[in-house]
Amino acid sequence: MEALTSALGGAATLSFKLILIIVPLVTVFEVLRHLPIFRRAGNLVEPAMKGVGLTRDAAIPLFTGIFLGIAYGAGIIIRVAQQKGLPGRELFLMGLFLATCHSVVEDILVFVVIGGNGFVILGVRLGLAVLLTGLMARLWKTD
Amino acid sequence: MLPCNRVFPIRESFPQMPPLESKSERGATYAESVPNISTRIRTGLYAGFRTSLRIIAVSVPLYVGVTLLKGTPVLDMLGGVFAPWMGVFGLPGEAAFAFVAAFLLNIYAGIAVIVPLNLDSFQVTQCGLMMGIAHDLIVEGGVLSTTGTRGWVLSLCRLIIAAASGLLLRGLWHIWGLL
Repeated sequence: MEALTSALGGAATLSFKLILIIVPLVTVFEVLRHLPIFRRAGNLVEPAMKGVGLTRDAAIPLFTGIFLGIAYGAGIIIRVAQQKGLPGRELFLMGLFLATCHSVVEDILVFVVIGGNGFVILGVRLGLAVLLTGLMARLWKTD
Repeated sequence: MLPCNRVFPIRESFPQMPPLESKSERGATYAESVPNISTRIRTGLYAGFRTSLRIIAVSVPLYVGVTLLKGTPVLDMLGGVFAPWMGVFGLPGEAAFAFVAAFLLNIYAGIAVIVPLNLDSFQVTQCGLMMGIAHDLIVEGGVLSTTGTRGWVLSLCRLIIAAASGLLLRGLWHIWGLL
């Protein structure tokens, strides 16, 4: 019985920490995402995206995935991919990048809260994503 | 009957228009016009709490289950089976359950298993890296496949990348530790 009480106490603490991260993050995102600066951000990142074989059409789904994650960004990712008619090569490269590096804010924060090193996680994921996608873009040439 | 969609390609001319299904995974709606700030805050708070509740509904039972199992020899025994595999990444055998939970459910399920195991800082970082790359494979694989690229290929890629990054981080940590 004592074990159960302490387990429930620990579960409550963990739940509280998760709420403390998720609710503000989702709220801030909801407030910020209508700002025009995010719609125009594609111009700034275009050179960087070329390096990994992507065009600016993929900017919105890519950055939605990087910051929000694949499940939350699903609506935007699917919609933009279909509207812009992204070619298969670009979809695969974007998927590969996102597979390695997505939902960076939320996923890393929750591990920092339980004692992990956020910079190490972010550094390895971002580095690996750029490396793998860049490599794949050079292997899979456009025809 | 006029083929309205051809004459007035409404959806194509407004890229910011909402999709036909206007609910995202977490229940946030895509409003057609930009809603005012207080509406946005309310939408955000509501979506955030809804998401939290869904996450907690999974992670609390998992956390309690693992904590109670820790008092019995069951967890040690099962952990011993996976110890050689997880040892490659510098993790204890019990961490295998956290990975199963993260792969099939989500990262919060993985966390709910990790916390009762009392891992050290390197091990938590290692779990965070590997689970951050490969988690929620069923749902996210489905999302990625709807974009036209094969979902299962990317899920397989994620598992391989997660393993590779785990080996990389263990190597890096070793080098840093020596310097």
